[in-house]
Amino acid sequence: MAAETPVTAPAISSIGRAPRKTGRSDSGPKGVLVVAGKAVMGTLIVLLALFPLAWMVIAGFKSRSEVVETPFQFFPEIWRFENYQQILADPEFVRSMSVTFAGALLFTVLSLTVNSLGAYAFARLEFAFKNVLWVYVITTMFIPGMAILLTSFVVVTRLRMLDTLAVLVLPGAASAAHLFFMRQYYLNVPLALEEAATLDGASKWAIYRHIFLPMSKPVFVVVGMTSFLAFWNSYVWPIMTITSRDLYQIQQYLATFRSERAAELGMLMAGSTLAALPVLILFLVFQRHIIGGIKIAGLK
Amino acid sequence: MSARSNVMAYAMLAPIVVLLTIFVVWPVVYAIYLSFYNWSFYTPPIPVGWRNYVNVLGDRTFIESVGRGLLFAIIVVPTQLVIGFLFASLVKTVSGKIATILKVSIYIPTIISGVIASIVFVLIYNYQGGILNAFVGIFGVEKQAWLGNADTALAALTVPAVWLGLGIGTLIMLAGLVDIPTSYYEAADLDGASWFQKTFFITIPLMRNIFLYLLIAGFTGAVQQFELPLVMTDGGPLERTLLPNLYIFQHFRNDTYVGYSIAAAILLMLVLGSISAGIFRVLNSEKAVDG
Repeated sequence: MAAETPVTAPAISSIGRAPRKTGRSDSGPKGVLVVAGKAVMGTLIVLLALFPLAWMVIAGFKSRSEVVETPFQFFPEIWRFENYQQILADPEFVRSMSVTFAGALLFTVLSLTVNSLGAYAFARLEFAFKNVLWVYVITTMFIPGMAILLTSFVVVTRLRMLDTLAVLVLPGAASAAHLFFMRQYYLNVPLALEEAATLDGASKWAIYRHIFLPMSKPVFVVVGMTSFLAFWNSYVWPIMTITSRDLYQIQQYLATFRSERAAELGMLMAGSTLAALPVLILFLVFQRHIIGGIKIAGLK
Repeated sequence: MSARSNVMAYAMLAPIVVLLTIFVVWPVVYAIYLSFYNWSFYTPPIPVGWRNYVNVLGDRTFIESVGRGLLFAIIVVPTQLVIGFLFASLVKTVSGKIATILKVSIYIPTIISGVIASIVFVLIYNYQGGILNAFVGIFGVEKQAWLGNADTALAALTVPAVWLGLGIGTLIMLAGLVDIPTSYYEAADLDGASWFQKTFFITIPLMRNIFLYLLIAGFTGAVQQFELPLVMTDGGPLERTLLPNLYIFQHFRNDTYVGYSIAAAILLMLVLGSISAGIFRVLNSEKAVDG
């Protein structure tokens, strides 16, 4: 009897978790339970995370009355594309998506340029008053948005920037947090690369342009995605500064649609789905970098 | 350090310094200045000393909104941390494709805008045809107007807040978990330690800084939340979802004399700003020790 045990124990554990090889003792019936428990918990949290979005997409396929129907039905009777067709046929929706997209691109390029130049200077150059400037720049990182939201509005009003693309693109582009993040990355670039180039007579600008920029892809993806997302998702600043419908930002459009056409819930859900799509696609394309970027941030 | 290298450095720094000066520093200085004045857009400013601040501190609606913000954060942040920690511990034990799917799924809500989250959750909470009422109906609970009822509105707002913020916290904790050397756990296994013992005596102490960071960043973020109440409830019913920033924002829009609203924003900033500066200092000093 005793001789049988060593034979069966590995056999059972290999059913539970074939690919993993650790010295842990979660084999046997208890091991199966642990694996099952993990699977249940994992599925539950994933469902919880994705459920509201699934619900949004599905509601987009329902008819106007079906969305608020009693008794409740999870899936529509017939999957209708009308909501999607109608919202895409609304010139204001299409314009709003395009304007926001163009603005977000501009904002992202500006943010990458401004912040990486500053990051490079602080990481690699020596100049007079470096410490003073560093403290000046980095202090802005600790100022919560709300403290300056109101006076920022007063400032842009004085600068006559209200109701222009500039008021959306310029104010948030410079970011001490992004500069800080990029500087940390540039600090880790080996000095040897730079020294060789300096011996060849390359200027600091050439070193930035030809050595640092090409290496910046991982940080550029993280900062670029964060900037794009911040612009695409912003709502409060646009409602304060943009009144002309030609420049309506997509979040502003959705919120306005909700208050002006309250009955068209299916269309609102279809519009929300389409409005979430660009950032969702961007995220899925770059997810490896973005999730990896959380590690680069060096939160220890 | 030649003059030439100074010029190059200043040229590279000019864009960010100019932009930060116009759009961050000027507004801050201006805010401090205006908070001591009675000023509207069309009148010359009249100095009023500390009156705006005194008025803010004597305003019950504001004080109550701050208390409500703290309560909101006390519900949201620990919930996020606990779910995030459990999920991160789970993700750590799986590998390959499944781990990627789990990480991507939990992060997706993070990229959804506050407006879209609000729109979706309003529909979830809808009295007619809302899925929450259908769900509680299974257990025989009567339909509720979750956002319309003064007793449930604030709690109802915490769910989308947790949902939106869960991903980033989970992944930061996961990065911290992965950094803990496996040898610590192996040694504990040899001593026959249970999962709870390992969690409480190895994992949690080693993740102290990460928890501290997430706790404070989450806390200041949650107190300042205002897109959700702005879109979902506009502060109602009976001001039960009037969080401090929403109160300041509404006040700013309705009162052309902006000194009061600015003083309120500065008072809130002083409290929250000193908390985040403190945590930054703690994190930075730790990093110096690590080398």
